[in-house]
Amino acid sequence: MTGGLQRVASTVVLVALSLLLTALILWVSGYRVGDVFSGIIQGAVTAPGAFTSTIRWAIPLLLIGLGVVIGFRTGFFNIGGQGQFYIGACCALAVSLGWREGPVPLVMLCGTLAAVGAGTVWSLLPGYLRVRFGTDEVLTTLMMSFIGALVLQYLTAGPMRNPSGTGQTAASERIPDAFRITDGSGVSATVLVLVGGVALLVWLLLERTRFGLSMTLVGRNPTMARWQGINVSRVGLAAFALSGALAGLAGAVELYGPGARLVTGFSPEVGFTAVVVALVGLLTVGGTVVAAVLFGGLQSAIIFLPIVTDLPPPALVLLHGMVAFLVTIRFRAVRRPKTLGGKAAAS
Amino acid sequence: MTAPSRSAPAETPAVRCRSLGVSFGTVQALREVSLDLAPGRIHALVGQNGAGKTTLAKVLGGLQAPQTGDVYIDGRRIPPGDVRAAQIAGLAMVHQHFSLPPSFTVAEALELTAARKGGRSFFRRSELHRQWQNEVAELGGPTMLSTRIRDLPVETRQSLEIVRALAGDARILLLDEPTALLTPAAIDQLFERLLRLRDEGVTILIVLHKLREVAAVAETVSVLRDGELVLGPREMAEVSEGLLSDAIVGPAFGTDRTISMAPAVKPTQETLLELVGLSSRESAFELGLDEINLRVESGEIVGIAGVEGNGQRSLVSVIAGLAPVAEGTMRLGGVDATRTGPAGRRQRGLRLVPFDRNTEGISRSAPLWLNQSALRLVGRHRWRLPLISLRQYKRQAAEDMDTWRVRYDTVAQPAESLSGGNVQRLILSRELSPGLEVLVAAQPTRGLDFSATDFVRRSLRELRDGGAGVLLISSDLDELFELSDRLLVMYGGRIVARFDAPYDRRAVGDAMTGAQR
Repeated sequence: MTGGLQRVASTVVLVALSLLLTALILWVSGYRVGDVFSGIIQGAVTAPGAFTSTIRWAIPLLLIGLGVVIGFRTGFFNIGGQGQFYIGACCALAVSLGWREGPVPLVMLCGTLAAVGAGTVWSLLPGYLRVRFGTDEVLTTLMMSFIGALVLQYLTAGPMRNPSGTGQTAASERIPDAFRITDGSGVSATVLVLVGGVALLVWLLLERTRFGLSMTLVGRNPTMARWQGINVSRVGLAAFALSGALAGLAGAVELYGPGARLVTGFSPEVGFTAVVVALVGLLTVGGTVVAAVLFGGLQSAIIFLPIVTDLPPPALVLLHGMVAFLVTIRFRAVRRPKTLGGKAAAS
Repeated sequence: MTAPSRSAPAETPAVRCRSLGVSFGTVQALREVSLDLAPGRIHALVGQNGAGKTTLAKVLGGLQAPQTGDVYIDGRRIPPGDVRAAQIAGLAMVHQHFSLPPSFTVAEALELTAARKGGRSFFRRSELHRQWQNEVAELGGPTMLSTRIRDLPVETRQSLEIVRALAGDARILLLDEPTALLTPAAIDQLFERLLRLRDEGVTILIVLHKLREVAAVAETVSVLRDGELVLGPREMAEVSEGLLSDAIVGPAFGTDRTISMAPAVKPTQETLLELVGLSSRESAFELGLDEINLRVESGEIVGIAGVEGNGQRSLVSVIAGLAPVAEGTMRLGGVDATRTGPAGRRQRGLRLVPFDRNTEGISRSAPLWLNQSALRLVGRHRWRLPLISLRQYKRQAAEDMDTWRVRYDTVAQPAESLSGGNVQRLILSRELSPGLEVLVAAQPTRGLDFSATDFVRRSLRELRDGGAGVLLISSDLDELFELSDRLLVMYGGRIVARFDAPYDRRAVGDAMTGAQR
């Protein structure tokens, strides 16, 4: 257990260090550091509606982050959550708009399944390449992510563009209000129960099933897993599939929740922040929940801050980057993923 | 430093080492090795796996610093572990594994890796080709300079390694098992090259496994056994293959200890594992199998002897279901299992102690309990609830590990915290679990200390006496003689000889090394 405590402690230190470094940079740039940090607290917690906003942002971070946890546990870096998230949202939107007169629960179910399926496919393609040929999934999932963003851009500017829209950014039509599970705040009992249930299921899968243990074993040492009779390719594909499915689900939740329509490049950071969330969460389900709320708060503060200080939003993205940087260094230094499949295993 | 008391020979030895000692942890890889190699001759170095051949080559080449002793090249002392000094003194090495970058063209690879002076940062391609065309002239002419390394056949790559090694005007060439990956025809070519180099005055030390090859190329031969030089550089004319074979495998003190007791009464003779005409394709690292026929019955230990690299790894991989079968049949418990996957074979009672304990046998960073429970994760459990109790898994793992006397603090500690002997106990505690029908044990005692070795051997014997079948693959002849009820010898991917106890150490040694008396 001391090893676990140590890891928690070192993560806390790293996050604190990132805060310190960011403060240093802001201070050197001439901002009043005290104001900035009190602004963050306000924007994340104390200001009216701030905490709701924190949870609203924590939800997609958690869903995508759990997918990242599943991937990392099995030894894969699925960092394409953003694209899987977009594609999922697009498919849910297509179903909801295309069949808007249908029975509400059925349409929503189909939309959600479409989102989950699309995220799965978006992640399985790099997954197959990895398992079959040893193609580096960091590159392929990232590339697929760009494709997903471009698909969203195309759909919202083209076939799904709201013809009556007047805004400068391309956006789709709104889905009927009956399909919404939250109001614009993005938080409701339904969503919380849904997301909590998913987190519980992921926890059960990883910590309480043979398959979850197989995943850990494959992630730690695929060669040994293979010698033990574990079908490493199948476990790997399942990890990619689940990972993408969760990101796709996040897309559906975004649409049926706070979004109601899709705007080009919406929530541009969540997919990548989710990777940091999973790492800060030490690749555990509980840790990821905590980290998701933490980064949800940061996201909320980024939106709030310009109101109270003259600080531009990118200054807080800097904080994100700093945490990502430090935590990734630690992670890559301590636990490189073992090679799996194809040529990578042969070298 | 004491000068050698004997009057120095007419020429200074090209390579001289004095009382070299190297140890890795508790393993003594080289003990007091002193050796003189006369210039302009081809010297062979032979010995079993783990005898210290590669270590000696590395020490001479400056890649490994010895704990004791000195190396002299052309009479000058080389600072221990200084590759550059050895190179400057004119010594070049050709390693067991190819080192030319596969995606480079021949010219680029040579220019990049050749140990020669005056290499420049910028080059023009035509100039590069002109520089190297003489060196590769006999390998395939100037056109090959623009061929990529990866597109070349193995023997050409080998030749290029030599070209590269000699490019810096090296006068001494060390070759570490250069024939391991070559076909017989390519070996002949290599030897012709070496003989020509010798005629040009290059001193050559070549590490070899097969006595036939030693006889074909070497002028003197030295034998290492357990890190000791048991046979100094002797003229080939003075030694017989029989003498060499004896020197390699060691004195026959083991023979009196071999199976004197009759094998346990076999209750019901049952064939547990059977390979019929089984062949597999060779991989980049290991010979394929060539029509292997073998059977393991209940209540017997079948030993597989052989110098490592003769297909033993392929054999274990194929039995495990991890390497494809090209031809032939494998049966488990009398039922065809050729097309059964690894998990299915495990469920039919196949258990494995793989060659590389630390990579194939355990997951070093995973906790002990997960390592111990790995076999419980595969297979049919469909009728049970998908949820499992970790506490139960951990308790079971602790119980099994205690039975096998694994020494640990908590079941959550990573497997890498265990010593070699304890790792092997951990693996045995997992593999020798209920449901075992036949065990394939590859080098189960390699690197273990005396008590751990004894423990493993006793376990195998008890297993046999309990009616299970054991296939024991080892390069330790004493171990094989002590445990095996029958002994097969692998050579070049085939089973070339079969023996029954009591074993004739010489005959087995000859079959392993391909010696003919």
